[in-house]
Amino acid sequence: MTEHLLSPQGQQCLQALMRVWFEFERQLGRVPLLQRLERGQFSKADYCQLLQHWRQQVIEGSRWISRCASSFDRDYSDVRSTIIGHAREEHRDYEMLERDYVAAGGSLSDIQNAPRNIGTEALHGFLMYRASQPNPVDLIGAMWIIEGLGQKMANSWAAQIDKTTGGDGSYTRFMRYHGANDDGHMQKLYQLIDRLCQSPAQLTAIVRTARVTARLYCLQLEEVEHEY
Amino acid sequence: MSVYINSTGHFLPGPPVSNDEMEPLLGLVHGKPSRLKRRILQSNGIHTRHYAIDASHNTLFSNAEMAAKAAEHCLTGSFIGKRQIKMLSAATSQGDMVLPGFGSMLQAELGLNDIELHNSHGICSASMMALKAAFINLKAGEQPNALVVASELTSRLFKASRYEAAGTELDFNAEFLRWMLSDGAGAMLLETQPRGRCFRIDWIRSFSHADAYPVCMSVGYPTDSNHSQSWQDYATYAEAEAAGALLIRQDVRLLENIVKLGVDGYLRLIAEGRVQPDKVDHVLCHYSSHYFRGKIFDMLQRAGVGIAEHKWYSNLYSRGNTGCASIFIMLDEFRRTQNYKTGDTIICMVPESGRFNNAYMQLTVVEA
Repeated sequence: MTEHLLSPQGQQCLQALMRVWFEFERQLGRVPLLQRLERGQFSKADYCQLLQHWRQQVIEGSRWISRCASSFDRDYSDVRSTIIGHAREEHRDYEMLERDYVAAGGSLSDIQNAPRNIGTEALHGFLMYRASQPNPVDLIGAMWIIEGLGQKMANSWAAQIDKTTGGDGSYTRFMRYHGANDDGHMQKLYQLIDRLCQSPAQLTAIVRTARVTARLYCLQLEEVEHEY
Repeated sequence: MSVYINSTGHFLPGPPVSNDEMEPLLGLVHGKPSRLKRRILQSNGIHTRHYAIDASHNTLFSNAEMAAKAAEHCLTGSFIGKRQIKMLSAATSQGDMVLPGFGSMLQAELGLNDIELHNSHGICSASMMALKAAFINLKAGEQPNALVVASELTSRLFKASRYEAAGTELDFNAEFLRWMLSDGAGAMLLETQPRGRCFRIDWIRSFSHADAYPVCMSVGYPTDSNHSQSWQDYATYAEAEAAGALLIRQDVRLLENIVKLGVDGYLRLIAEGRVQPDKVDHVLCHYSSHYFRGKIFDMLQRAGVGIAEHKWYSNLYSRGNTGCASIFIMLDEFRRTQNYKTGDTIICMVPESGRFNNAYMQLTVVEA
């Protein structure tokens, strides 16, 4: 337990972030596509559709996180190191996602040429803007949501997708891979919360960014089934 | 106006039943011993429980009879008798009858005259909803007292013959609760005046999340999870039973959500200023299984709102998980056997997995 010890300010921040996360999970529970996944009424075509919409966000994800790292000045060089490491680990994840898409029966050119999900546009517009601010401490809130979602994909969605589509894990590697790295990532996240949340104003900013990220993430998922 | 719990009572039918005695009593399904039993019992940590049925599957006490016995036990220790009771608020997940309401049957069993009646239906949180209705009724000045009773007789659902009637092999979700739930009843007497050493109810709050989550614990849908047909939609009840629509099920995959939602509600109450973690002296939490206790504990600890382990009290391990009756049976045993002093703060939590309703209550120990 000791490695999880946080400062009082960090703990308050964690309490608030936990509540944002739980609210986010309830929002996800109201998305029709995910409700069908829960009920087991989810096809391989649904899965391919989901990956097609997800790809852009994975690509953009590595861009805003690199931008975020470069916006921290030398007083935060330790934070910069952590974030650069994280960006480096994940910046080619989208290739794994593309391989899953093909393994699930999709064609590579379809996923590469798919139009961008409008929720992704909104989310990354927001995240790139925040990442361009000097010392964007609040982005720890965005990382909290995205890291949490990685865990949820790995621990719950991947198995449920394989179960309902009759898969053997061969096309849910991207989702599962996130689970394998969880513990280390969460541990770094707790340390970052402690390091970056040192005042009530920072706490407010972190929680606000977490809430915006959660809402826009949900919008992305709602848009997966929105034919235009 | 303040409302006080001035007395409590319980009824647990028959002798305690050990883990080894469970299956001989409930019966071997298709003549074969369960392969899941040991794993489920290990995870829930329960050592003994009580059943209102015997090994020949005769019902020794009806649900209403158990409820009445708990209510009488409660009144034995109170300053008022049956004739003075003004309100009865009753909770169960399943009465002996489909209709009328359980409370009517209980009123007749107890012989209470001219009372105001309230029925609460649901799963584990039904007792807290019954308690809240009574609490608010007294607080509004409508009645000076209320008897609140919660009772469960789930063992009737666990007879081997029920599973055999549903045909095929048992799946995990249908068998899970067979090794979790058991029978019992608890009761409380609420009054607007305190008597002796008693518990003042500071507040009761609940948060329900049925709109965001699928059904997690149920009776009424058949084996295939398509949820198109409820037990009442079959041509005959025999067909519903054969389809497995009358088995009690738990969607185990969804259970983890109960921990998160339980913690979520607790954090909300802290943010509202209702709960001050450092002022809490005792926690009575109806966690259905020892496994979840650790999970809840870790999450609270990590967020810096943990409550020291020695402040947690539960009699789950010896009395079993009696659904909505559990929290009343727990408070009754706490009141009779534990050390607490005037001014102590007690938090009660009931996270219900049915479709995710979490109830919370704060009590303060007072001395009249």
